[in-house]
Amino acid sequence: MPHWKKAFPLDLAEEAHFGRREFVRFLAVVSAGFTAGIGYLAIRKRPLEGAPDQAHKNLGPLRICETGDVSPGNSRLFTYRDEQDRCILVRTTNGELRAYRQTCTHLGCSVRWDGRRLECPCHQGFFEIERGFPVQGPPTRPLSALRVEEKAGGIWITGELPKPTVAVEENQS
Amino acid sequence: MTPSPKSQLSMAALGLVLVVVLVQVYLFETVLSAVLDGQRGLLPGAFAVSAVLTGLVLWIALKLPSLDRKP
Repeated sequence: MPHWKKAFPLDLAEEAHFGRREFVRFLAVVSAGFTAGIGYLAIRKRPLEGAPDQAHKNLGPLRICETGDVSPGNSRLFTYRDEQDRCILVRTTNGELRAYRQTCTHLGCSVRWDGRRLECPCHQGFFEIERGFPVQGPPTRPLSALRVEEKAGGIWITGELPKPTVAVEENQS
Repeated sequence: MTPSPKSQLSMAALGLVLVVVLVQVYLFETVLSAVLDGQRGLLPGAFAVSAVLTGLVLWIALKLPSLDRKP
Protein backbone atom coordinates (compact mmCIF):
# COMPACT_ATOMS: atom_id res chain seq x y z
CA MET A 1 0.00 0.00 0.00
CA PRO A 2 1.48 3.38 -0.94
CA HIS A 3 2.36 5.84 1.77
CA TRP A 4 -0.33 8.34 0.79
CA LYS A 5 -3.02 5.68 1.20
CA LYS A 6 -1.81 4.92 4.69
CA ALA A 7 -1.81 8.63 5.51
CA PHE A 8 -5.21 9.24 3.95
CA PRO A 9 -7.19 6.02 4.22
CA LEU A 10 -10.09 7.18 2.08
CA ASP A 11 -12.40 4.46 0.90
CA LEU A 12 -13.82 5.48 -2.44
CA ALA A 13 -16.66 3.33 -3.64
CA GLU A 14 -15.81 3.92 -7.32
CA GLU A 15 -12.14 3.21 -6.92
CA ALA A 16 -12.45 -0.52 -7.34
CA HIS A 17 -14.80 -0.22 -10.29
CA PHE A 18 -12.46 1.49 -12.73
CA GLY A 19 -9.84 -0.94 -13.89
CA ARG A 20 -7.13 -0.77 -16.49
CA ARG A 21 -9.33 -2.33 -19.13
CA GLU A 22 -12.02 0.32 -18.66
CA PHE A 23 -9.37 3.01 -18.87
CA VAL A 24 -7.97 1.47 -22.04
CA ARG A 25 -11.46 1.36 -23.53
CA PHE A 26 -11.82 5.04 -22.78
CA LEU A 27 -8.47 5.68 -24.50
CA ALA A 28 -9.68 3.63 -27.47
CA VAL A 29 -12.66 5.96 -27.82
CA VAL A 30 -10.29 8.94 -27.66
CA SER A 31 -8.11 7.37 -30.34
CA ALA A 32 -11.15 6.70 -32.53
CA GLY A 33 -12.13 10.34 -32.10
CA PHE A 34 -8.80 11.50 -33.51
CA THR A 35 -9.20 9.12 -36.44
CA ALA A 36 -12.70 10.45 -37.09
CA GLY A 37 -11.36 13.99 -36.95
CA ILE A 38 -8.72 13.28 -39.58
CA GLY A 39 -11.36 11.54 -41.70
CA TYR A 40 -13.60 14.58 -41.41
CA LEU A 41 -10.77 16.84 -42.58
CA ALA A 42 -10.19 14.49 -45.51
CA ILE A 43 -13.77 14.51 -46.74
CA ARG A 44 -14.52 18.16 -45.97
CA LYS A 45 -14.62 20.12 -49.22
CA ARG A 46 -14.75 23.64 -47.83
CA PRO A 47 -11.37 24.91 -46.58
CA LEU A 48 -10.99 25.73 -42.91
CA GLU A 49 -11.29 29.37 -41.96
CA GLY A 50 -8.13 31.25 -42.83
CA ALA A 51 -6.66 28.37 -44.81
CA PRO A 52 -5.68 28.78 -48.45
CA ASP A 53 -7.90 27.03 -50.92
CA GLN A 54 -5.78 25.22 -53.49
CA ALA A 55 -8.89 23.91 -55.25
CA HIS A 56 -9.93 27.48 -56.04
CA LYS A 57 -6.52 29.03 -56.52
CA ASN A 58 -7.63 30.19 -59.95
CA LEU A 59 -10.73 31.92 -58.65
CA GLY A 60 -10.15 34.77 -61.06
CA PRO A 61 -9.08 38.35 -60.59
CA LEU A 62 -11.11 40.49 -58.22
CA ARG A 63 -10.97 44.26 -58.33
CA ILE A 64 -10.68 45.64 -54.80
CA CYS A 65 -10.50 49.38 -55.27
CA GLU A 66 -8.89 52.17 -57.24
CA THR A 67 -5.12 52.52 -57.13
CA GLY A 68 -5.27 55.80 -55.24
CA ASP A 69 -7.68 54.53 -52.61
CA VAL A 70 -4.90 53.03 -50.46
CA SER A 71 -2.10 55.46 -49.68
CA PRO A 72 1.30 54.34 -48.34
CA GLY A 73 1.10 53.19 -44.72
CA ASN A 74 -2.63 52.49 -44.89
CA SER A 75 -4.82 49.42 -45.25
CA ARG A 76 -8.20 48.40 -46.59
CA LEU A 77 -10.43 45.44 -45.73
CA PHE A 78 -12.17 43.28 -48.29
CA THR A 79 -13.64 39.81 -48.77
CA TYR A 80 -12.37 37.40 -51.39
CA ARG A 81 -13.72 33.83 -51.57
CA ASP A 82 -17.04 34.58 -49.90
CA GLU A 83 -18.47 36.99 -47.35
CA GLN A 84 -16.76 35.12 -44.49
CA ASP A 85 -13.33 35.20 -46.14
CA ARG A 86 -12.12 38.46 -44.61
CA CYS A 87 -8.86 39.85 -45.96
CA ILE A 88 -6.71 42.92 -45.53
CA LEU A 89 -4.87 44.89 -48.18
CA VAL A 90 -1.86 46.93 -47.06
CA ARG A 91 0.26 49.42 -48.93
CA THR A 92 3.58 49.60 -47.13
CA THR A 93 5.49 52.81 -46.64
CA ASN A 94 7.64 51.69 -49.59
CA GLY A 95 4.53 51.72 -51.76
CA GLU A 96 4.38 47.92 -52.15
CA LEU A 97 1.07 46.11 -51.89
CA ARG A 98 0.48 43.08 -49.68
CA ALA A 99 -2.75 41.16 -49.11
CA TYR A 100 -3.43 38.57 -46.41
CA ARG A 101 -6.36 36.78 -44.90
CA GLN A 102 -7.32 38.48 -41.67
CA THR A 103 -7.62 35.23 -39.73
CA CYS A 104 -4.86 34.96 -37.14
CA THR A 105 -3.15 31.57 -37.22
CA HIS A 106 -3.27 31.36 -33.43
CA LEU A 107 -6.96 31.33 -32.52
CA GLY A 108 -8.65 32.95 -35.48
CA CYS A 109 -9.08 36.56 -34.40
CA SER A 110 -8.90 39.25 -37.08
CA VAL A 111 -5.52 40.88 -37.55
CA ARG A 112 -5.22 44.61 -38.21
CA TRP A 113 -2.55 46.92 -39.59
CA ASP A 114 -0.78 49.00 -36.96
CA GLY A 115 1.30 51.02 -39.43
CA ARG A 116 4.36 48.74 -39.22
CA ARG A 117 3.16 45.18 -38.68
CA LEU A 118 -0.04 43.18 -38.71
CA GLU A 119 -1.31 42.86 -35.18
CA CYS A 120 -3.69 40.37 -33.63
CA PRO A 121 -5.30 42.30 -30.76
CA CYS A 122 -6.62 39.23 -28.94
CA HIS A 123 -3.27 37.88 -27.70
CA GLN A 124 -0.79 40.46 -28.95
CA GLY A 125 0.51 38.45 -31.85
CA PHE A 126 2.40 40.28 -34.60
CA PHE A 127 3.16 39.35 -38.20
CA GLU A 128 5.72 41.02 -40.43
CA ILE A 129 4.24 42.51 -43.56
CA GLU A 130 6.68 41.20 -46.19
CA ARG A 131 5.64 37.55 -46.08
CA GLY A 132 3.20 37.32 -43.20
CA PHE A 133 5.46 35.45 -40.78
CA PRO A 134 4.78 35.69 -37.04
CA VAL A 135 7.45 37.73 -35.28
CA GLN A 136 6.00 38.14 -31.79
CA GLY A 137 3.38 36.56 -29.57
CA PRO A 138 1.70 33.16 -29.64
CA PRO A 139 1.15 32.59 -33.41
CA THR A 140 3.59 30.11 -34.94
CA ARG A 141 2.41 29.86 -38.56
CA PRO A 142 2.36 32.55 -41.25
CA LEU A 143 -0.77 34.24 -42.50
CA SER A 144 -2.42 33.07 -45.70
CA ALA A 145 -1.31 35.42 -48.47
CA LEU A 146 -3.03 36.53 -51.65
CA ARG A 147 -1.46 37.66 -54.91
CA VAL A 148 -2.13 41.35 -55.50
CA GLU A 149 -1.51 43.36 -58.66
CA GLU A 150 -1.97 46.92 -59.81
CA LYS A 151 -3.35 47.25 -63.32
CA ALA A 152 -5.85 49.27 -65.31
CA GLY A 153 -6.04 51.91 -62.61
CA GLY A 154 -7.17 49.44 -59.96
CA ILE A 155 -5.87 47.00 -57.35
CA TRP A 156 -6.67 43.38 -58.15
CA ILE A 157 -6.46 40.12 -56.21
CA THR A 158 -5.41 37.49 -58.73
CA GLY A 159 -5.15 34.34 -56.66
CA GLU A 160 -3.70 32.51 -53.68
CA LEU A 161 -0.03 32.44 -52.79
CA PRO A 162 1.51 29.24 -51.38
CA LYS A 163 2.45 29.51 -47.74
CA PRO A 164 6.16 30.25 -47.27
CA THR A 165 8.10 27.65 -45.32
CA VAL A 166 11.26 29.48 -44.26
CA ALA A 167 11.07 32.43 -41.90
CA VAL A 168 12.89 35.62 -42.69
CA GLU A 169 14.83 37.49 -40.08
CA GLU A 170 12.91 40.44 -38.76
CA ASN A 171 14.55 43.74 -39.41
CA GLN A 172 15.09 45.06 -35.91
CA SER A 173 16.15 48.49 -37.04
CA MET B 1 -14.36 -13.65 -26.62
CA THR B 2 -15.29 -11.17 -23.94
CA PRO B 3 -12.73 -11.02 -21.18
CA SER B 4 -13.74 -11.71 -17.66
CA PRO B 5 -14.82 -8.59 -15.79
CA LYS B 6 -12.26 -9.42 -13.15
CA SER B 7 -9.33 -9.65 -15.56
CA GLN B 8 -6.77 -6.90 -15.77
CA LEU B 9 -4.56 -5.73 -18.57
CA SER B 10 -0.85 -5.71 -18.00
CA MET B 11 1.01 -2.50 -17.38
CA ALA B 12 2.84 -3.08 -20.65
CA ALA B 13 -0.44 -3.09 -22.56
CA LEU B 14 -1.61 0.02 -20.75
CA GLY B 15 1.70 1.75 -21.48
CA LEU B 16 1.50 0.80 -25.15
CA VAL B 17 -2.00 2.25 -25.41
CA LEU B 18 -0.90 5.47 -23.75
CA VAL B 19 1.98 5.78 -26.23
CA VAL B 20 -0.39 5.16 -29.15
CA VAL B 21 -2.78 7.85 -27.92
CA LEU B 22 0.11 10.31 -27.58
CA VAL B 23 1.10 9.50 -31.17
CA GLN B 24 -2.50 10.14 -32.20
CA VAL B 25 -2.46 13.55 -30.52
CA TYR B 26 0.78 14.49 -32.27
CA LEU B 27 -0.50 13.14 -35.60
CA PHE B 28 -3.75 15.10 -35.38
CA GLU B 29 -1.96 18.32 -34.45
CA THR B 30 0.44 17.89 -37.36
CA VAL B 31 -2.35 17.12 -39.83
CA LEU B 32 -4.42 20.08 -38.67
CA SER B 33 -1.45 22.45 -39.08
CA ALA B 34 -0.78 21.08 -42.56
CA VAL B 35 -4.42 21.48 -43.60
CA LEU B 36 -4.45 25.05 -42.31
CA ASP B 37 -1.37 25.66 -44.47
CA GLY B 38 -3.19 24.31 -47.50
CA GLN B 39 -1.40 20.96 -47.69
CA ARG B 40 -4.13 18.37 -48.00
CA GLY B 41 -2.06 15.71 -49.75
CA LEU B 42 -1.08 13.95 -46.55
CA LEU B 43 -4.65 13.41 -45.36
CA PRO B 44 -5.22 9.94 -46.88
CA GLY B 45 -1.95 8.61 -45.47
CA ALA B 46 -2.52 10.19 -42.09
CA PHE B 47 -6.02 8.75 -41.94
CA ALA B 48 -4.70 5.27 -42.77
CA VAL B 49 -2.03 5.47 -40.05
CA SER B 50 -4.53 6.79 -37.53
CA ALA B 51 -7.02 4.04 -38.38
CA VAL B 52 -4.36 1.35 -37.91
CA LEU B 53 -3.40 2.81 -34.52
CA THR B 54 -7.04 2.95 -33.46
CA GLY B 55 -7.49 -0.65 -34.58
CA LEU B 56 -4.52 -1.67 -32.44
CA VAL B 57 -5.93 0.12 -29.39
CA LEU B 58 -9.37 -1.39 -29.94
CA TRP B 59 -7.85 -4.84 -30.24
CA ILE B 60 -5.98 -4.39 -26.98
CA ALA B 61 -9.04 -2.97 -25.23
CA LEU B 62 -11.54 -5.54 -26.42
CA LYS B 63 -9.75 -8.71 -27.43
CA LEU B 64 -6.45 -8.97 -25.63
CA PRO B 65 -6.74 -11.69 -22.99
CA SER B 66 -5.72 -10.93 -19.46
CA LEU B 67 -1.98 -10.93 -19.05
CA ASP B 68 -1.91 -9.87 -15.49
CA ARG B 69 -2.70 -11.29 -12.13
CA LYS B 70 -6.22 -12.18 -11.13
CA PRO B 71 -7.48 -10.16 -8.21
